Amino acid sequence: MKACAKWIRDGIGFDALLIAMALTYLLAFAGLPLLYNIIISFQVVDMFSLNQLFHEFAGWDNYIEVFHDPAAAEVLWNTTLFTIVSVFFQFTLGFALALFFNQKFPGATWFRGLFLAGWVMPGLVVGVLWNWLLSGDFGVINWTLETLGIIGEPIFWRSDVDYSLISVILANIWYGVPFNMILLSVGLAGIPEDLYEAAALDGATALQKFTTITLPMMRSTIGAVIALGIIFTLQQFDLFAAITSGGPAGSSLVAQYWSWELSFRQFEFGRGAVIAVLMIVVVLGVTVFYVRSTRQETRL
Amino acid sequence: MNIDDSTIQIGFTDVNKFYGAYHALNSINLSIPKGQFVALVGPSGCGKSTLLRTLAGLEEISSGTINVGGRTVNDIPPRKRDLAMVFQSYALYPHMNVRENLTYALRLKGVSKEIRANKADEVAAIIGLEDLLDRKPRELSGGQRQRVAMGRAIVREPQAFLFDEPLSNLDASLRVRMRKEIRALHERIGSTSVYVTHDQVEAMTMADHVVVMRAGKIEQQGVPLDLYKNPANCFVAGFIGSPAMNFIPGVIDESGESVTLDFEESPSLPIAQSMQPGRPVVVGLRPEHVELGDAQSCGYAAISISSVEETGSTTYLFSSATPELVIVADGSQQVRSGDVIGVKIAPTNVHLFDPETEVSLSNG
Repeated sequence: MKACAKWIRDGIGFDALLIAMALTYLLAFAGLPLLYNIIISFQVVDMFSLNQLFHEFAGWDNYIEVFHDPAAAEVLWNTTLFTIVSVFFQFTLGFALALFFNQKFPGATWFRGLFLAGWVMPGLVVGVLWNWLLSGDFGVINWTLETLGIIGEPIFWRSDVDYSLISVILANIWYGVPFNMILLSVGLAGIPEDLYEAAALDGATALQKFTTITLPMMRSTIGAVIALGIIFTLQQFDLFAAITSGGPAGSSLVAQYWSWELSFRQFEFGRGAVIAVLMIVVVLGVTVFYVRSTRQETRL
Repeated sequence: MNIDDSTIQIGFTDVNKFYGAYHALNSINLSIPKGQFVALVGPSGCGKSTLLRTLAGLEEISSGTINVGGRTVNDIPPRKRDLAMVFQSYALYPHMNVRENLTYALRLKGVSKEIRANKADEVAAIIGLEDLLDRKPRELSGGQRQRVAMGRAIVREPQAFLFDEPLSNLDASLRVRMRKEIRALHERIGSTSVYVTHDQVEAMTMADHVVVMRAGKIEQQGVPLDLYKNPANCFVAGFIGSPAMNFIPGVIDESGESVTLDFEESPSLPIAQSMQPGRPVVVGLRPEHVELGDAQSCGYAAISISSVEETGSTTYLFSSATPELVIVADGSQQVRSGDVIGVKIAPTNVHLFDPETEVSLSNG
């Protein structure tokens, strides 16, 4: 007993204890559910067999059914479009704002802080706000576009099959820009000022400084921000729930929302799990990219 | 300093710089002839780095003009001033290898890859980095990084080299070596160099012309030994030389040919000039100009020693009286703390300053 106490107090025991606690938590609340999700993607699970621990083996049936579902192609297309467009604009707008607030002007840090206000709001609240903004009859966005003469008659953003996905993308871009901006700001702040001074004396214009100093020095940050952006966008559920519920007619249905619908609306737990498994594979790929890019630090 | 205008490479005329109410540079006038090595030296916060940065274009000036190569550069951005700078931090581009670091300026100018490669080899040979061209800065030692920073400046063949405390991050022995190398390089290339340092030894040993600054003002400028021999005021006298000059209050004697020190037994020192009797002065004595002898002998004043520091080659003696008198003696001197020794100073080595203005009263 005494030896054990000594081991914890003076030896590596304390380190081991901390690691064990973290590992136990991860295994219990992330590892096990993940594993169980993979298992039920190969099983027949419905309302009647939900209370059993072991279910009937289904082989690849669930996977085949998901891929043969008439909605599958559109969901794949919507998910891809939603992710790429969201991440592209979140990143470019976030980077532009980060560069802007990196200039030294009075109140720069204060204003940058204000931008975070959008990001700390719950996704469901953001969704409700955008519902109002996007409203066909009384929405501010329609009013602005009409006043400026850009559109002749109101667009029914959320109920028009051509605009429903765009509505959620708009809200998601707004929601994600501050996070991108803050991470990229941190990256920019990490570039020593004297590199820019040296480059200025070496003859670099502002644009050349950006392309030859800022971008290469930001490589790892940019990799991390884009990877996290993809992961967060693939997680985005609240905005769909609040704005379009995947409709109308599946026009804004994406994989994460479809998985939830299959599992908890149609009680097709096996097929819902299949989509979750497929998304895990994608996220895993992105994570590898993320880890690799953070490893390639180009700092002195 | 009278120099023909055509040989002036860098000129500051009435340059002022304010940070809000803070007067960072106060009416700076400085002319640097082509090919000269000028050191800007002073304690931290004296404005020496600010002056260098205004020359580089990294800081704007509030008034006055700065000329480089006969052209006013006040409104010219750094990239068009044709000056190369070696930073204290070296400011190497971490994502580029040594070759790319050396030729970055040429790449921006659109120089072809072959010429750039040749140029990199050429410069690497000058600074002794031939084997390290493919390394990244993080794989280099402090001294090697320093060389890359120098090489990056040499490649440019600029109007002038600016150095901002380039050796302060190196250890002592390397610093002494690099001091020589920079000086040798300067002579070899024949370029104009402006070198900022807080280390007066660096300034004295490297520069042709030393500019001593304090609180945004130039206190004195001239050739190194002239600053040592004829300091214009107490500040320069105390700043140049190591250990620093001793300052002791005194009064000119009746004869006007000697000064009585307000020190221990009020010894009287002959001076090299004739002064108004009864005038209060500050007497400046360099520690290395104090000659030791027998306390009883004629012409020697007796002082008691409170502590002794022996370094082998030299011995530092500290008097027990206030103000403390520091004496640099030969290492062979056998003095112990508590001893009373005799000291003497040659009249030409006695510096006199006005107690109010601190300006030198010695003529020549």
